[in-house]
Amino acid sequence: MAKESTTIDVGEPSTVTKSSSHVAVDEKKKGFVAAAAGGGYKRGLTIFDFLLRLAAIGITIGASSVMFTAEETLPFFTQFLQFQAGYDDFPTFQFFVISIAIVASYLVLSLPFSIVSIVRPLAVVPRLILLISDTVVLTLTTAAAAAAAAIVYLAHNGNANTNWLPICQQFGDFCQATSTAVVAASISVVFFVLLIVISAIALKRH
Amino acid sequence: MKNESTFIDVPAESSSAMKGKAPLIGVAKDHTTTGSGGYNRGLSIFDFLLRLAAIVAASVAAGTMFTSDETLPFFTQFLQFEAGYDDLPTFQFFVIAMSLVAGYIVLSLPISVVTIVRPLAAAPRLLLLVLDTAIMGLTMAAASSAAAISYVAHNGNQNTNWLPICQQFGDFCQKTSGAVVSSFVAVVFFMILVVLSGVALKRH
Repeated sequence: MAKESTTIDVGEPSTVTKSSSHVAVDEKKKGFVAAAAGGGYKRGLTIFDFLLRLAAIGITIGASSVMFTAEETLPFFTQFLQFQAGYDDFPTFQFFVISIAIVASYLVLSLPFSIVSIVRPLAVVPRLILLISDTVVLTLTTAAAAAAAAIVYLAHNGNANTNWLPICQQFGDFCQATSTAVVAASISVVFFVLLIVISAIALKRH
Repeated sequence: MKNESTFIDVPAESSSAMKGKAPLIGVAKDHTTTGSGGYNRGLSIFDFLLRLAAIVAASVAAGTMFTSDETLPFFTQFLQFEAGYDDLPTFQFFVIAMSLVAGYIVLSLPISVVTIVRPLAAAPRLLLLVLDTAIMGLTMAAASSAAAISYVAHNGNQNTNWLPICQQFGDFCQKTSGAVVSSFVAVVFFMILVVLSGVALKRH
């Protein structure tokens, strides 16, 4: 078995960085440098994600509480009944209050995952968990916001064909409060879409 | 300037089979059929099939709602009792939105095919994920607002004196409820599609 020998000329001595000499070491160094740079922009994205979550917590708590306290009692009354409207007169609004409250508590619980992603920008598992659960919660928020919006639209405009009268003409304050809550929930939907897109971009391999 | 030299002993390969092995260092990875590429390709195929199913769900929802007209057999001298999707603005929104969704999925099929052919490309998958998320929001909005109106139509509302019209328009209510259910199925498909894209993006 004849042995072959190869001479490899290693260039400059140790004043030049050692990584310039060998292909394998160079590749490893390049990979390491790329990891640090990729971690930088991902960390920035995750910080933005964290801030968005804080904003979304504020908005969802606001939406839920505005709907919860949206009662109105009309100043006139008959001998038998007093005219009042509250969120619990509408099953859709009950669903809205409960589900937006669930969404707000989910956001609070997801803050630690977001912090972990900031501290370890290249970790995949927390981001994937956030992406999946954000998708589910986005669906829930959209459902609550859209259903409440349909009822609010009906309350504002009524429907001639089905003889459903627009109650907003009597209950002005109640209608205003419920409309505000619906708008706030819709804004939180936009925040969730942004959160999902951020997670997806950060998941993408560098 | 001192030149350093290193001697590396390369043992001669006796069998010809060994000669075929190329050193991995410095050679670009073959991007078509490595392990991770095969896994991603499988995910993309499943994604494509889900899209076909979602087209069916969305178009069934839109079609059922569109053709949900009902005219009651009795009538007075002045008016005939009929109900259709265009009597309720929410149902109009539902039909338009579900048609848009079905059209979007058809247009996204080529991008899905691209992710099958190139399983490791990130850009098409990211694009699909972003668009799918937005369209899923639209689908869910249409589905749940129509569900809220269907609920009121079925049960009425005591406090606002909104009468449940389903007691007269049975067929209309059945068809609209079926359309709403179909659109919720489409939403579930979209959720799975978004998660699939996320999982495929992370595995490169």
